[in-house]
Amino acid sequence: MNKKRNRINTLKGLLFLSPNIIGFSIFTLFPLGFSLIMAFSNWNLSQHNMFTDEPLKWVLLQNFKDLLGSEDFWRYLGNTLFFMIGIPISMAGSLGAALLLNQDLKSPSKRARSKGILYVLPLIAFSSLLFLGFGMSIMVLIVTGIFGVIYIGGVSGGSTVYRTIFYTPNFTAGVATFILWKKIYNPQTGPLTTITQPILEGVNAVVLFLGKDTIYIFMYVVVVLAIGSLYWGLNTFLKWRSEKDLGYIGLIIGVSALILPSFFVLHWFSHPIASQIMQISVIATIVYFVSQFIAKSSDCICHPEKGMGNAIMLGLGIMALQFLLIGLSNVLYKLPEMSLVGISSPSWLTDYHWAKPSLMFMGFWAAIGSNSMLLYLAALSNVSPELSEAADIDGATKFQKFWNVTWPQLAPVTFFIFIMAVINGMQGGFEVAKTMTGGGPAGSTTTLEYFIYEEGFASGRLAFASAISWILFAMIFALTLFNWRFGNRYVND
Amino acid sequence: MNAENVEKKVGSGFYLNHTLLTTISLLMALPFLWMLLTSLKPLSEVGGSHWWPKDFKLENYKEVFSIENLRYGRWYFNSLFVSFCVTFLQVLTSALAAFAFSRLEWKWRDGLFLLYLGTMMVPGLILMIPNFQIMIKLGLMDTYLGLIIPAAFSAFGTFLLRQFMMGIPKSLDEAAEIDGASTWQVFWQVILPLSRPGLITLTIFTFMGNYNSFFWPIVMLKSADKYTLPVGLLFFESSQGQQTNLLMAAITMAVIPMVILFVLMQKHLVKGIQLGGVKG
Repeated sequence: MNKKRNRINTLKGLLFLSPNIIGFSIFTLFPLGFSLIMAFSNWNLSQHNMFTDEPLKWVLLQNFKDLLGSEDFWRYLGNTLFFMIGIPISMAGSLGAALLLNQDLKSPSKRARSKGILYVLPLIAFSSLLFLGFGMSIMVLIVTGIFGVIYIGGVSGGSTVYRTIFYTPNFTAGVATFILWKKIYNPQTGPLTTITQPILEGVNAVVLFLGKDTIYIFMYVVVVLAIGSLYWGLNTFLKWRSEKDLGYIGLIIGVSALILPSFFVLHWFSHPIASQIMQISVIATIVYFVSQFIAKSSDCICHPEKGMGNAIMLGLGIMALQFLLIGLSNVLYKLPEMSLVGISSPSWLTDYHWAKPSLMFMGFWAAIGSNSMLLYLAALSNVSPELSEAADIDGATKFQKFWNVTWPQLAPVTFFIFIMAVINGMQGGFEVAKTMTGGGPAGSTTTLEYFIYEEGFASGRLAFASAISWILFAMIFALTLFNWRFGNRYVND
Repeated sequence: MNAENVEKKVGSGFYLNHTLLTTISLLMALPFLWMLLTSLKPLSEVGGSHWWPKDFKLENYKEVFSIENLRYGRWYFNSLFVSFCVTFLQVLTSALAAFAFSRLEWKWRDGLFLLYLGTMMVPGLILMIPNFQIMIKLGLMDTYLGLIIPAAFSAFGTFLLRQFMMGIPKSLDEAAEIDGASTWQVFWQVILPLSRPGLITLTIFTFMGNYNSFFWPIVMLKSADKYTLPVGLLFFESSQGQQTNLLMAAITMAVIPMVILFVLMQKHLVKGIQLGGVKG
């Protein structure tokens, strides 16, 4: 009786599942196995099509060997990773937006609401009159008007109004908005060049006025800042370590992230003296701290995974900062020379050096109001008010309160968002490359996803493309394991 | 006195926050503003440094539909049609599977569910190449069916709805069973109505994902009649992109359904994302 019932239940279950599992087997399970097997063959559309159907050959690991030996693969992997420098910056933007939105934006009383509106109305009217009086373009008037509309909407509607506007670029992100940005970046007809040109002319004038030496002083300051941030980061790790707050796994990951930009310095930095200063001090800093860490290694008998999340966040944050500073100092080095000829707006997407930053800037626009912001908002509403009140009583400043009370409680969400962003980043970049740059100029915006498309669907080297996608999967899988292993632990920290 | 202090503090920060937020909102909206204004310009004004059109040309929006070699109206229909079909089928198959995984007790349930979960990690890219070959073998290249069928089954949708259905108290279907309801009736009349918020969230996700999807359509579609909006817009840009005003009108019209959907549905969407993310 019981057995029969079980059998009926199994039948019912399978019946309900059947529409889904049939499709699932055909379009997910079977392709998965098929693609894995084919990655070991020489499957190529130019040899295996309806006209010349040569038998498949098993080349075993040859595809993987070719791939790992090819310069293109490492370059495109590098591009993919380079685009990820934007992740900490976008996350900071999302967190900032969430913090702002989490303030008490609903006005306490009707009176305050009308006061808020009353206070901005004359401002708008006045500035419009001013602009009109000075014969400014009608555009300024429109922008002021829109400012007023959003403001009034926000004061009366609360955070939902802003959240909607923040989220729209992310929600609509796709081919349509990428084409829009391609037009914005167009060096001849796009609006960005008209906006940046006067600014660049101003910069040009300032540079000429200050002279080469002053600019170089600024450059040295930036270089010192870059080294300083490295020093500060390592010092913080040392401090955490001596306070027994940092296990060796976090230490190794964090320190590697911190040191990584220094290796690019050799590659990118062109000013000879500054480059040498940078190298020498970076090496000195690293040697000093490594010896410190080794000397104190016996002091810290804490769990190897302790404090890992914080270490990763700090390491990556400072890594992004260092990249920015090194880039800035490089720009400063080149400025005087450029200003002699006259700085003009770059041709954004078609310029080898500007294509990546341009795409990252667009990504930033779409990523501030993304799911990360929504997740941060949800997490912020869960931050316990008791702790925050206790900090108030102790007289903590706003920043102290954020750093010591709010940020630690956001740690699990931060970790989750970061891992998700990295996983998405690993397998992204096709749409942008296909619509905006075609992977160029000279392959500078080709990511692994676009590489797979090119190899698989444009060149027809299906086996080779399968091999790339499996390597990609292996990397993503490692990240997922990392997330499982440490994500929960970090929550309990 | 204390109360007064608190009120004053709320006051000054309040206006500052709003001013700051409004400024950021305005900056975020600028690209869209440029898009809108350019779409209203005549061709002669495109590329000028002024944003505000001197001559308004609303007819751009009508003209988009009758450009030579481009079939914008058809693409619009294709996109909506394919997205509707995929959404309907995916929500239906996912709901059925989620019911089997959450409400019924049977032998291979947990093993199969684990298999579903495992495939969610796999990048979609891996599946594209074999699926492309399957489509060629089935003769579905360059057809609507070729776009719809592979997208109609989703491990993610099943997972999302299963999580949702797990939260519905078990006593409800037991009560219905005692009243003599069949399993189908429990599914159709008890569980489905109760999972409405989850169904709505999945519907929005699926619809948006499909309306925006690009990789699969560009691989599958060869003839301009079958293009969906993303593929069509790219074709427009690469073949007649110098008509920036018309292109912007086309993009504006492509973006508007998404904005409307978001504004109407944002409550469900935000909740869905936050639930999915926080629970991991």
